[in-house]
Amino acid sequence: MARRDEPRVGVYICHCGINISYKVNIEEVVDFTSRLERVVVARDYKFMCSNIGQELIINDIKEHNLNRVVVASCSPRMHEKTFRNACKKAGINPYLFQMASIRELVSWVTEDEREATQKAKDFVRAAVRRVIHHEPLQPRIVDINPNVLIIGGGIAGMQAALEIADAGRIVYLVEREPSIGGHMAKFDKTFPTLDCSACILTPKMVSVGQHENIKLLTYSEVEDVSGYIGNFEVKIRRKPSFVLEDKCTGCGECVKGCPVSLPNDFEYGLMDRTAIYRSFPQAVPNIFVIDKEGFSPCRNACPAGLNAHGYVKLISAGKHEEAFKLIMERVIFPASLGRACPAFCERECSRQLAGGPVQIRALKRFVADWYYENVGLEPPVVAQEKKEDRSVAVVGAGPAGLACAYYLAVQGYPVTVFEALEKPGGMLRYAIPEYRLPNNLVDKEIEFVKKAGVEIVCNTPVGKDGKRIDELFKEGYKAVFLGIGAHKDRTMGIPGEDLKGVHHSITFLRRINSGERVVLGDKVIVVGGGNSAIDAARAALRLGAKDVTIVYRRSRVEMPAFPEEIEAAEAEGVKIQILTNPVAFHGKDGNLSEVECVRMELGEPDESGRPRPIPIEGSNFKIPADSVILAIGQYPDSAPLAEDGLEINRDGTIWVDPETLATSREGVFAGGDATKGPSTIVEAIGLGRQAAEYIRRFLEGEDLKARPYEEHWLETVDREEVLKKRRYEVNEPHRPSERPVAERIKDFGEVELALDEERAVEEGRRCLDCAGCCECRQCELLCEANAIDHFMKEETLEVKVGSIIVATGFKPFDPSNLVQYGYKRYPEVYTSVEFERLNNAAGPTGGEIRMKDGRVPGRVAIIHCVGSRDENTNRYCSRVCCMYSMKFAHLVREKTGAEVYEFYIDIRSPGKMYEEFYNRLQEEGTHFVRGKVADVTDVTQSPEEEGRLVVVAEDTLAGKVRRVPVDMVILSVGLTAAEGADKVAHLVGISQDQDGWFIELHPKLAPVSTASDGVFIAGCCQGPKDIPDTVSQAAGAAAEALSLIMRGQVEVEAATSYIDPEICVGCQQCKKICMYSAIDYDPARGVCVVNEAVCKGCGLCAATCPNKAVTVKHFNNEEIFSELEGVLL
Amino acid sequence: MSEPFEPKIVGFLCYWCSYTAADLAGVSRMKYPPNLRVIRVMCSSRVDPVFIIKALLDGADGVLVAGCHPGDCHYQKGNYYARRKVALTKKILESLGLGPERVKLSWIAASEGPKFAQVAKEFTEEIRRLGPNPARAEIFL
Repeated sequence: MARRDEPRVGVYICHCGINISYKVNIEEVVDFTSRLERVVVARDYKFMCSNIGQELIINDIKEHNLNRVVVASCSPRMHEKTFRNACKKAGINPYLFQMASIRELVSWVTEDEREATQKAKDFVRAAVRRVIHHEPLQPRIVDINPNVLIIGGGIAGMQAALEIADAGRIVYLVEREPSIGGHMAKFDKTFPTLDCSACILTPKMVSVGQHENIKLLTYSEVEDVSGYIGNFEVKIRRKPSFVLEDKCTGCGECVKGCPVSLPNDFEYGLMDRTAIYRSFPQAVPNIFVIDKEGFSPCRNACPAGLNAHGYVKLISAGKHEEAFKLIMERVIFPASLGRACPAFCERECSRQLAGGPVQIRALKRFVADWYYENVGLEPPVVAQEKKEDRSVAVVGAGPAGLACAYYLAVQGYPVTVFEALEKPGGMLRYAIPEYRLPNNLVDKEIEFVKKAGVEIVCNTPVGKDGKRIDELFKEGYKAVFLGIGAHKDRTMGIPGEDLKGVHHSITFLRRINSGERVVLGDKVIVVGGGNSAIDAARAALRLGAKDVTIVYRRSRVEMPAFPEEIEAAEAEGVKIQILTNPVAFHGKDGNLSEVECVRMELGEPDESGRPRPIPIEGSNFKIPADSVILAIGQYPDSAPLAEDGLEINRDGTIWVDPETLATSREGVFAGGDATKGPSTIVEAIGLGRQAAEYIRRFLEGEDLKARPYEEHWLETVDREEVLKKRRYEVNEPHRPSERPVAERIKDFGEVELALDEERAVEEGRRCLDCAGCCECRQCELLCEANAIDHFMKEETLEVKVGSIIVATGFKPFDPSNLVQYGYKRYPEVYTSVEFERLNNAAGPTGGEIRMKDGRVPGRVAIIHCVGSRDENTNRYCSRVCCMYSMKFAHLVREKTGAEVYEFYIDIRSPGKMYEEFYNRLQEEGTHFVRGKVADVTDVTQSPEEEGRLVVVAEDTLAGKVRRVPVDMVILSVGLTAAEGADKVAHLVGISQDQDGWFIELHPKLAPVSTASDGVFIAGCCQGPKDIPDTVSQAAGAAAEALSLIMRGQVEVEAATSYIDPEICVGCQQCKKICMYSAIDYDPARGVCVVNEAVCKGCGLCAATCPNKAVTVKHFNNEEIFSELEGVLL
Repeated sequence: MSEPFEPKIVGFLCYWCSYTAADLAGVSRMKYPPNLRVIRVMCSSRVDPVFIIKALLDGADGVLVAGCHPGDCHYQKGNYYARRKVALTKKILESLGLGPERVKLSWIAASEGPKFAQVAKEFTEEIRRLGPNPARAEIFL
């Protein structure tokens, strides 16, 4: 209706007292305005926002039949709503109103009166031109969901939650810590009344925990907020606590079993806690959580997935049997691995960067030896019912085969292992020389495997030349595992390889490990750079060779052997000649006499990624030698299996599906060196165990790939982060000792000696508990309520609420960078929050104020304004520090009788009974020194200062520099924005000021509202404040939320987008860019349609639409163009 | 030309950050040149390239587009779109020979009153240096 009517505009210029009129010539503006086209009335008034001002508009609308209104006054943020309502009252659509800001944008920012007046005129003209094009819009009415979300469970969040819950509405209270209570739960006393913080807080915490209307979501964080006032949809991430909330009784038995030690955040690191913990005894909810941040680097480094962190910590706690059991869950042959494993775990150990890796391998050796000696060769498993109809044949009694056999056998599957050689053990027995791994130990560990129910049949090859696979199935085996290893030596194919004295390493090692004393002569050449070359070389020395040289065709860095093995070989006298390769062996009478070599140089990288060795022409030379051992590689003897229907890869390995380890033949699985090529024992064992799992699934008729092999796996924690968070001493590992070189090279006795128990336990304690929880699962055993679930997964909860209260609190200022105060440099310098704990009956000292050495301090200095009122840190006053500092002074004097010196700038004590408290402290004899502290030092100048910290400050009242020797210094740190405040601000769409505090809608009149409708703030997240102010604000925010709920409905902005279906071509560009998915495509009509309930009115679509089919109501092109013309005329 | 050159500058300010910053500059009584004429938009992404071109053809000597800092957009990422649109507009202006340096994009957060005043001041100086926009509609078209 109004659109067709002739626009009749009324314009009102506000003086705002003198705020506008002192710069803007109002009379001139009114005169100018009255002459503008369409303007029917132009008036000015002192306060347009007053009732009289509004009445003026209402009367004019009625009297002059106005249908458009412009008010030129303050920012629309202040009074747009006021004037829209006035229009509505007078019977015209509130959107037929426009505001011109001539205070914030003109009078307050312009020096010159003439210029200000001109600018005001321009703004008024623009507003008049714009308002002519305004269209009536119907504000949308939306229902208010009566549920409320509160973010932050400190005193503010708790107070707000109780207010709302008591009014009968549902509150979702989200707290990221395991318990509610916030900072207040850490305080001992509150100022100025000195009542006990816990005594007044904990009853409130209990009420929150027990309130039927409060859904308490601790250890949770808000992940996403969408929607709008009255209709928010919130996603809440519930971090896994690994303890079932409904089962945990809070008894605390679990803690007794936990071997982990982590800095206690609740106590600001003043003491340690276990991985399973409760923040404090009165925690609400009163349940435990497990601090598990991922998997430790050592654990994820292990090819067999062995939980090194777990058993290391169990050993450190003296729980050797438990440690052994934990090891046996993932690997067999722990004593062998404890000697011959390359220990991938140690390479990743965080201690690599802090003194040296934890000696994980040596610890495994210790605990395995301990078990065999103290418990015996009994596997630590519960006997399972025999599954006689599902027997399995394993081919090859090496680490892979026996691991597969063991893990099947302990689950009750009958397993028979067929071994081609005379004795079981595979490479453990036949390839690793006894100085690294004695054969009697291998015997012992095989005995252990047998006791689990594994039957081993030797001298029985399988394949073309022995037992056929078909035969195995015919004999009733339901599945077959092939762990045949890689026992065939590669040959060089050069002249003279058949001479006597030319050996191949695998065959050579097998002979010596079988007890044969191979005669090599004095001068031995070993060809190759891998571990087996090193083994051969060191074995050669022990066989009496005087001169052993390893010849390798690339350079040292490319040698595939493990560095510690190379070093040990060199220590024993083995020489290494790099960039050299044999081309022929020369002999006399069929015996080797010389090795002809050629020099090599390195070229471009080959397919293995290493530089290709290229022979240098004409560089041939001869080395006299009695024997040569070729250690240039080995491969599986898989040819005979090809005829049994198995696919063999080009390198001789058996083809398997890398996930299930199933071969090309149904029911036949393979693993170890047979599928991987030569690798390590631990990899072979890992694959053997993996195959056992897939064979089990096969035997039980399960879908092999339905679940991953490692169902429980977590990301590796970041080592750098660990080192930042933990407290530790950089110290040398307790390395196992070795027999002296001169002695050890004479025989095949073990080189490395065991760690004794004391050193093993000490070494275990060096572990930094990278992952937090080590998953030793001792807590599970102790929990009578079966409340522990180590496999708990993160959950996301979705809730719908109508309003949100943000009460995320603060973070104490970290004074580490203010080096002059000596924090973290001198042990007796504390922050105020640390001192709160020191002073708290539930804190690390049981509430006794003691120095770290146990003495009671005689003099204490309290330094005010640390991180407040300081150009270099924060300029604002943190408001609470003066008062709590005086509280400390009182408590220190009361508890210890110590002299207390307060170093202050000004004392700020505005509050009920605050000034009186200050007076009381002065009367009590606290020394107040007005002056900012320049230095806290242990450099003394007089005998009185000896052994104390000296606080140096200029006493600005006395006008001199004072040096005050004290025993303890407390830094009264300020308050800073909470960690993650920026993320929360972004989630709920509110802003932060330059210091990170959330911005309220109006600093005076809307202190708990925000620019986002339906979002309120309370407590320190808005700015530093004390407990009474926080509680008041929280109650205020609750009242705002309740007021909204009581209204039941609310008008929301009508300025949404609209797509003209006559113009839209259905290109859907708008749909693609809409950040709220508010645009749908209607395929029937071939056009896009806006869902107004979801549209937020940003206008991006309107700016994007190539044919301008999209308009944003109240911000359409016509309106903006007219405004533009208005300001530019 | 007897009068000294006083540039006319149009500023499209997003309501949530930059307009709030302008309010804050006002509340804090920060003085800046009066040449900037502010037009409120809900989001900087609303600024259609056509707005900028029209402003220049209608006699503006400079156009400022200001929005929330990257990552802080009230509408999630409208400011990123604004950035693209402004970049594109500059290209168009360049090809039309309409000095792209007359268009400026700035990120001004709600708390950055001083920055708003600073940007207004600097941009005014910049445009003053560039001189009057030669491409007013009556000349150009």
